[in-house]
This record gives sequence, structure tokens and C-alpha cells, in this order.
Amino acid sequence: MVDQIAPAVGESTVDVLEYLGITVNFLDDQTCCGQPAFNSGFRSEALPVATRFIELFERVEGPIVVPSGSCAAMVRNYYGDLFRDDTNLVERAKRVGERLYELTEFISHFFGTKAIAGRLDNSATYHKCCHLLREIGVEEQPLEMLFQVEGLEMTPLERADVCCGFGGAFSVKMPDISSAILDEKLDYIEATKANMVIAADTGCVYQMQGGLRRRGSDVQVVHIAEVLSKSIKNVGRAESSE
Amino acid sequence: MKPLTVNFRSKAAETLQDAQIQQSIEHVYTGFFKGRLEAAGDTPEWEELRTKGKAIKDHTIAHLDYYLGQLADNVEKNGGSVFFAEDAAEARKHIIDLAHKREIKTVIKSKSMVSEEMGLAEAMNDEGFETIETDLGEYIIQLAGETPYHLIAPAVHKSRTDVAKLLDDDFKEGDPVPDATELTMMAREKLRGVFERADMSVTGVNFAVAESGSIALVTNEGNGRMSTTVPRVHVAVMGMEKIIPSIQDLSTMLRILIRSATGQRISTYVTMVNGKRKPDEEEGPEEFHLVIMNNGRQKLLADPQMRESLNCIRCGACLNACPVYRKVGGHAYGWVYPGPIGAIVTPVLTGLKDASNLPNASSLCGACHDACPVKINIPRMLLELRYRTAEGSSDIEERTSGAKERGIWKAWRIGMMGRKRFDWAARLSRIVLLPIARNGWLKKTPPPISGWTSTRDFPLTASKSLKSRLSSRAKKAK
Amino acid sequence: MADRATFIATVTASLGRSEVLAPPSDTATAAFDDTATAKSNAEQAMATASERSSELAERMAEAAAVIGWKVHRVANQEDAANVIASICEQKSATSVLRSTHEVLTQVGVDAAVTNTGASIGTTEHSGENSSDLVDQSKTAAFKADIGITGVDYAIAETGTVVLHPRSGLSRLVSLAPPTHIAVLRPGEVLESLDELFAMERNDFSSGELAGSMNLISGPSKTADIEGTTVTGIHGPLEAHLIILKYD
Repeated sequence: MVDQIAPAVGESTVDVLEYLGITVNFLDDQTCCGQPAFNSGFRSEALPVATRFIELFERVEGPIVVPSGSCAAMVRNYYGDLFRDDTNLVERAKRVGERLYELTEFISHFFGTKAIAGRLDNSATYHKCCHLLREIGVEEQPLEMLFQVEGLEMTPLERADVCCGFGGAFSVKMPDISSAILDEKLDYIEATKANMVIAADTGCVYQMQGGLRRRGSDVQVVHIAEVLSKSIKNVGRAESSE
Repeated sequence: MKPLTVNFRSKAAETLQDAQIQQSIEHVYTGFFKGRLEAAGDTPEWEELRTKGKAIKDHTIAHLDYYLGQLADNVEKNGGSVFFAEDAAEARKHIIDLAHKREIKTVIKSKSMVSEEMGLAEAMNDEGFETIETDLGEYIIQLAGETPYHLIAPAVHKSRTDVAKLLDDDFKEGDPVPDATELTMMAREKLRGVFERADMSVTGVNFAVAESGSIALVTNEGNGRMSTTVPRVHVAVMGMEKIIPSIQDLSTMLRILIRSATGQRISTYVTMVNGKRKPDEEEGPEEFHLVIMNNGRQKLLADPQMRESLNCIRCGACLNACPVYRKVGGHAYGWVYPGPIGAIVTPVLTGLKDASNLPNASSLCGACHDACPVKINIPRMLLELRYRTAEGSSDIEERTSGAKERGIWKAWRIGMMGRKRFDWAARLSRIVLLPIARNGWLKKTPPPISGWTSTRDFPLTASKSLKSRLSSRAKKAK
Repeated sequence: MADRATFIATVTASLGRSEVLAPPSDTATAAFDDTATAKSNAEQAMATASERSSELAERMAEAAAVIGWKVHRVANQEDAANVIASICEQKSATSVLRSTHEVLTQVGVDAAVTNTGASIGTTEHSGENSSDLVDQSKTAAFKADIGITGVDYAIAETGTVVLHPRSGLSRLVSLAPPTHIAVLRPGEVLESLDELFAMERNDFSSGELAGSMNLISGPSKTADIEGTTVTGIHGPLEAHLIILKYD
């Protein structure tokens, strides 16, 4: 999803990691972790895709960073189920999973939530994406990072931890239910009067943005990687113009 | 109760359009969900309690055969009788036969989900016994001829006007609507006489203690106490998983059950009875009967992927946490158990084929797992059932996915198995959709994602993939 | 028709076994605690209740008020009797039932109630085991305006009064009348549910488990209509807790 629909999120992720002094190696051959098929129940289709993911990332060393709590949850929490008939793969998946971090988790774990000092003049609210929150267990760190961004006025979002209704294939299979959940979320978003909603998973970003657009709202939904990347660039620009 | 799981989509759609229900059901979030969070927050050892509760249930379920035997022995030792019912029909028949034999006239029922599985109140009324639900919510539902909407708040979808119409024969549309206190007092007046004349009670069981043959009932209203005190015959019905080994385990289980259900530290009443009236007691039933029902639970027990669902203590916390339940309501689930727990147990108990929409009706947000007092990993089990509906898993009979859907996922897999194909497929989608896109968004999309654009805009594939953006960035850097 | 053996055999088979095995000792449950452990847990609970009696009574008062008990802290037995009399007057009670808890005699509850013009009675007929007597006392309980009891224990954690129905303490006296008054003495308050169930476990393992037990936490409640909490559905509409203090 990031690769083909939201490459800017991927590139922003690279920006942020490079800002922290990390050499980023993007594996050109990568496609998907297999979650869409797995979550839809098609495990025999997910299995080779997930195996391919493991094989690819076994060939490189070091931490693996993904700008998605959902993909991280798939690898860390659900590969065990997907591979359950193959103990060898379960073990290998576990080892890859131990090296894999969601972006904000990675930054806060290795660099702290104050490592990025950027500037972005805007008003925003933050939606807590479900898988990052409940599968990975990251709740306050992204907010702490956003509070560090100078000029960014953060407004709390009512029921920020309630799902936006995305749920992958669920959003297409049962669009009326998915949208009813989304509507509630959008009402709370609009009530904040913020210009921007920040979230950490592209699925949720597009669910909310797609719904806001349909409502005719100007509120922008932005991935946290993009916010951080922009805030760093703003500071860089300011410094170079001085 | 006959399963109507097959109607999930139409029932859900109906509820989504019902503004009154949408408003009423908010209470499960603003009242119960928030109450649970506050209660958990006030309990410093909350996570330890959940871990302990899970350990107690894991242990019991792993030795359920032993504890069933021990429980039955001890109930009998206390002077009660035990009936093992393989299914709902057997249980129903046993209770009705007993009522006939004892020449019962009035039966008071205390809330019990297991008795809903049996459709007991209706069946007993049909047999000529005056059978009255005494939990206020259940009473309202019985008057309305409906089934419970929620595990602990059966009438949560009813407005005061609805209730007034049911409780007050003189109430007409347009009359001033009585407040909740007035309505509650109406019900109190109606039910008091019933309590006084009841000669049989049917209650559920929150926990059955194997070592002592005791049962514990948790209520706020006092109907559970009335039911275990006034009638001369007390019948308690339970699903076979409701056991805990020791009396002392009750302190853990009561704490997590009550906090999770309503956010209270304790319910108004917790009643423990060890069978019938003891010789030194002033009153109490002359007879105590415990009905232990299987009704398909052995399928959950025998299924290593689903066994954990038998740890459920029916607190309703997963319903309150669930964004889907809060939109589609309790009746959409089509059987006794609504919400996330229903979505995992109903398909196994009543048949996955008709219930295939239940495990799919979830955004997998994990709020149910988070809320569960015994940490049942509901999302994991939803995924397991999806696997069975999609591919048949070990039993092809359970497969309900269509050839088209299977074809799509096959194509997806082919596309994901090589980077070139992956890029090619993405480029192709852009070429096809570009003419109908505006500013990078689509108002309409073709199947299989047409459902998305019925309510939301869909993003167009980007002009360049991340891979190609990063490689041009690398070139620039050089 | 399922019999016990067939039913349990199905369960055994579902567990993947061919015979019922006794579970190995597991710290998950208290079921494997021996009699000595149960005894020492119970003694510990009682020791805490008496050593920290005034602190626990204080916590009980606070917790009870939160869940809807009308709490009356009184300095002595005379004041307790006065509170009871004033509740009787306020309710225009004509018929009052009470248990045979010792504290009620100490307080002089009979005189306090009869001085207001109400009648007071008690049930103590268990030895006779006559269903007529049971019926009579049932009718009396449903007609009574007020039921008065002591407490067997109280629980500071939750604001709960614990009663073990027995001869002289009917199940209905704290349930059927629209007003319940419970009188508590210091030293009767346990710290938490843990201590209560430790005592119960000890009663069980020493073969002295009571026939039934009621945990009562304030007046009867329901929130089944639009989530609005209403006090008094099937049980008492009002619950008073009188906490005696000895100087």
C-alpha cells in the first residue's frame, strides 16, 4: 500500500531515518507481508507471500522498520499462526519479527521521543491506529513526538482509540458497517476544528481521508512519517536561509 | 432458540438505519465501556487479576471432565440433584417435566443466557406455566416478544417510550413519557406479587464451585435473591464451562466479572447457595436442581484453536468495546450471544456455513481482546474462522467463499510473488483508473473494491512507486 | 437421554483423553491449598480485621456511601437506637422485622421501634421446619416496612455487608421490606473480598460452610431503562448502614 499508493509515506520514512543518522537500505524486491489475504482467510495464498517476505529479509541484517503498525503486527503476532504447520518457518519468522519495528516504536525505542526537533505551523489531532495501539502496544510515543514539533498545535481527539472502521477487506466487504463506524470518527475529527488528522497507518489514513473527501471536508489526513519529515525539512530550510 | 445468523447483513442494515437504536446503544460505550475503564484504572492490580482469572479458567477447562464430576458429586452431597443435558431440547424437557411433576403454577426466571439457548421461558409458557422474566431488562424483552440485545443489558436498545408502551396498558403515543424511575416502579409493582406467589424459579449460574457444589449469582436488582429464596423449587441452569475449582477463586472471578460488566466494584448482590434450604435456615427452596448443558460446547473444547472461548464469563465487555456491535446491534448476530464473543462461539455452536458473515463482520481492531477480563484472544479466533469460511481449512464443507473471491486472492498472490509483476499490476491499475480520477482520487471504482466508493473516495495508485522514487533519489544523491 | 457417564465421557474425549484424570496441583486455583493453609489464611483475615478495626470501619463507611448506603456513624448504642427510631418515623413504619443478631439486642432495637408505635417481630422457627410457618413469615416479610439486621462481616474494599442466613436470620428480612437497616460493629469489617473468601474456604475445608451467603452492597438497583440508574427494583429502595463506634 505504501509502496504503490502512498510512496510519499515511504520516502518520508527514509527522510526521518536518515535525519537520525541511519543508513537506509530499501530492499527493491519486496512486495507485501501477506496480511490482506491472511486477514481475509486465504491463508494458502498468504503463505507463499509471507514466506517470500521472510526469505527476503533474512538476507539482510539489522533492524527492519515499517511505517505501519498493522504490517508489524502481522509479522510479529500472526506469522506464528500462518506458519503453524511448519516449525522451522515459525522460528525463522520469530527471528525476523524480533528485528522488526513500527516506525514510531523504532524511533522512541532507540532515539527517544525527543530525537526529532522540527517545525510545522498547523493545527492537528491524532488518531490512535488500532494495530499500533493494541497489537504493538504503542500509545503515547507518537503523541510525544508530535508534541515536540514546534508550531504544531495539537487538539485531543475524542475516542481517539476507537477504530476508524477500516479493517482491510472488511471496508470493502461490509462497506455500510465500515462507513457507519467511520462516520462517528469523522464527526469527532471535525469537532476538533483541526486542519489535519495524523495517523500512523496508511489504511486508516485513506479510510478517513476518503470519507472526509466524500463529506466535502478540507481536513487533511496525514501519515506521521510525512509530518515528521516535513517538520525536519522546515527547520533545515530555515537554517540554510539564515 | 433457532439460529438466524444467516440474516446478519439484512438485520445489520436495518439497525444502521434506526436512529433511535443508534442513540440508545450509545450507553454501552458511555456507560459500560467507560465504567470498566474507570474501574480497571482504580484497581492497581488489574492486569494481575486478569492473568489470574485466565489461569483459573485455563486450568478448569483443561480438566473440565474432572471438575464436572466433582461438581455433580458435591451438589448431590448438599442434597441437590444434577441433570446433564446433552442439548437444549433435553434440558428444556427435563425442566418442563419437573414442573409438571411438582404441579408448579408460577415460574420466576432470573436472567440466564443458557436458558435463552433453550428458549425456556417461551416453552414453559406454552406448557401452561405462568413463566415470568424478573430481571427488568429481560422482563421488558419478554413483554416485547424479543430476544436479549446484550449479555447484561437485554433491553439496551429500547427507549423510555418503548418501555412505557410495554409496561403501561393505558400509555398512548403523545402522552408524556414517564421517567426511568417511574417506569421502574411500575415494573416493581407488577413483579412483587409474582415473586410472592412463585413456586418455582429458574436462574442462571455465574460460577459453579466444584469443590463445594455451590453456585454464585451476581445481580443488582435482587431478583436472583428472590429466586433462590421464595419458590419451593429452584432450578439453576448452566453451560458446562461455568465451573471454577475453589470457593476462594471467587474473589478473583467476581472482581473481574463485575468490573468488566458494569464498572462497579461489586454488584448490589452476590448470592451463594449450596443447594436447598438447610435445616437451620428460616426459608429457602425445598428442592435444588442443577442442569448442566453441553449444547455443542464439546466442539469448542475439542478444537485447539477455539477452546479458549470457553473461558468466557459473559460479562459483555467485548460487546461494549466493539465498534461493530455498537452499530449493528445485538439482534444482527442472529442467536443468543451477540458481539465479538458471539461472532466466535455462535458459528461453532450453530454452524459456520450460515454464520459465515459473523467472523467477517469485524475490523479486527482488537478492542475486544483488550477489554476481555480473561484475555480471550478474540481477533485470533475470528481470523481462524475466516480461514475456515475462505478455504475450508480442514473441513471443505465449511467453505463459503465464492469462486470469484478465491480467484481474486489467487491473482493477488501471483501479483505479490515477484517485484516486476507487482509493479506491472500497479501501473496497469493506474492506467485503467486514471481517466476517471480527479486530483488523485476516485469517486467510483470497479469490483472488487466498488463497495469502498459507495461511501468513500478511493486513492489512485501513485504515478511512481516507492522503489522508483527511492532509486531516483539515490541517483540524485550521487 | 444423557446420563452423567456419557456426558462426561464426551467431555473427556473432546479433551483428547480416554479417561478422566485428576488435575495435577496448580497454583492457578486455591483448590489445592490444604486445610492448614486455609486455616492460616482465615486466621490472618480475622487478625487484620481486629488489629485494624477502626481503619477498616472508616474505609467501609466511605466505600458504602459511594454505592448508595445511607451511612450513619454513631458514637454509642443509644444513638444507634435513635437513628433506627427516626427511620421508622420517617417511613411511617407500622411493621418491622429484625434478625436475632446480638448487636440488635445490645442496641435495644425492640424498645426503640415499639416506642414509635410500630410492631417488631423476628423469625426463629427453623427447627420446626413447617411449610406453614415458612409461608407465614414470607407474608410477614413482604408486608414489613423495614427489615433490620446486624452483619456477619463487612468488606471495606467494596462497602459490602455479608449475611449468612440461618435460624433467626431469614433471607427475606434484608430483601423484601422496602427499607433495610444494617448495624455494624467495629471488628466485623474484613479488608477485601480476598479475606472473605479465605474465611469461606476455611469454613468449607473444616466442614462448616454455611448453607448460603448474601453479599449486600447498598439498595437494590437497575439501569435497564436507558442506562439510568434507579434505586429499588426488587429489593430495598433504601439501605441504611449504622456504624457503631466504641470508645
